[in-house]
Amino acid sequence: MVDVTLNVNGKECEVTVAPYETLCDVLRNKLGFTEVKNSCNSGECGACTVLVEGKLVCSCLMLAMQANGREITTVRGLSTDGKLHPLQIKFIEHGAIQCGYCTPGMLLAAKALLDSNPRPSEEEVRMAISGNICRCTGYQQIVEAIIAAAAADMNK
Amino acid sequence: MSNTKNLFRPSEYFKPTSVAEAVKLLDEYGEKCRLIAGGTDLLTEKDPQVEVLIDITSLGLDYIRSDSQGARIGATTTFAGIEVSPVLCKSPYNVLAQAAHEMGTPQIRNMATIGGNICSALPSADSAPVLLVLDATLDIAGPNGERSMDIVAFFRGVRENALDRGELLTEIQLPVHPPRTGTAFVKRGRVATADLAIVNVAVRLTLAADNTCQDVRIALGAVAPTPLRAKETEAMLQGEEPQEKLFERVAARASEEIKPISDVRSSAAYRTVLSRILVEQALKEAVAKVFA
Repeated sequence: MVDVTLNVNGKECEVTVAPYETLCDVLRNKLGFTEVKNSCNSGECGACTVLVEGKLVCSCLMLAMQANGREITTVRGLSTDGKLHPLQIKFIEHGAIQCGYCTPGMLLAAKALLDSNPRPSEEEVRMAISGNICRCTGYQQIVEAIIAAAAADMNK
Repeated sequence: MSNTKNLFRPSEYFKPTSVAEAVKLLDEYGEKCRLIAGGTDLLTEKDPQVEVLIDITSLGLDYIRSDSQGARIGATTTFAGIEVSPVLCKSPYNVLAQAAHEMGTPQIRNMATIGGNICSALPSADSAPVLLVLDATLDIAGPNGERSMDIVAFFRGVRENALDRGELLTEIQLPVHPPRTGTAFVKRGRVATADLAIVNVAVRLTLAADNTCQDVRIALGAVAPTPLRAKETEAMLQGEEPQEKLFERVAARASEEIKPISDVRSSAAYRTVLSRILVEQALKEAVAKVFA
């Protein structure tokens, strides 16, 4: 067992991990970030998606030891001072959340997209969420919410 | 919840900071150890018997450079890095950037490395047909020093590569190609993204001044125990003018050079038909690129 430090949503978290523990398991079960879901445990569904230094990764495929010293963002890190991120507001407004299980990963995929491409086309939005499976919505409302959030940022 | 990962129980984790150190560890632990970079193949393996993990992401092998001899790609360069590389955005190297874009998902591309993709040696590896048609060479470090090999000889069987005990792939080189060279990469999966290929095809050809085909390369993946070059098919095109009827005959020949199996993704029969269609499509695309 080894001590590692994970910077999660801006806060340093010290935790003891085994070499085989995944970042997903450690975030959920040892650090209490249960907004990071585990669905397929094999990198195919995207429910476990987090940002590592701003890049989308599947936390179920990253070892906790590989995340040592790195900056991790979960969906909890999207809101600041209790205020929802425009993406979160638009997801609610557009009915882009049903069971909610894909939502944390979807929001982070959308965030990563808008950070590098503030005015994406619909095609680009669909590519950006292509690693996140949704069983409920058929994706339409999610795509519309992301495009609406992109437009809203332009008005700020 | 945990399926395969219930069996994954390495007890030690090393993170060497030099290739020499990594080689020493690999040689010392032999079959007890596995390398980890992106981890997207290792952590999805069915029964990963690993006692020792060697993390190779701190060896400085994440780079893409160009020089007068072509392009050099470090083994732990991610597919995301390849997708956006200014070195690889020009023809004919951009076929590799395209293949990188069609591999996996955005998350997987941020983690998976090109070295891992070819060392895992799955028949469906998306970078393999492209590297085969670009005549890539590989640098390998080992206990006896460094060696170089053509990628053609690297794939030995399903999940079997040509690395010996203690050896580590460090770099992939792409040579310079002549002007009037066109390339294409076509992949079909069960769904638009994320899936392993049912068939993937890469083509490279150069047109001489008289518009005849020189230097033809056709490679297919997911249709044999290894990614392979359709060499008899390539010979049919040598010195010939590109023509639809010829491409039809050539594509039919390519679908005879393969040995597909039926698996969860597709039947052998469908793979045979699809190979013919995709080779024909890729040949047409490659020629169109020459004239673009």
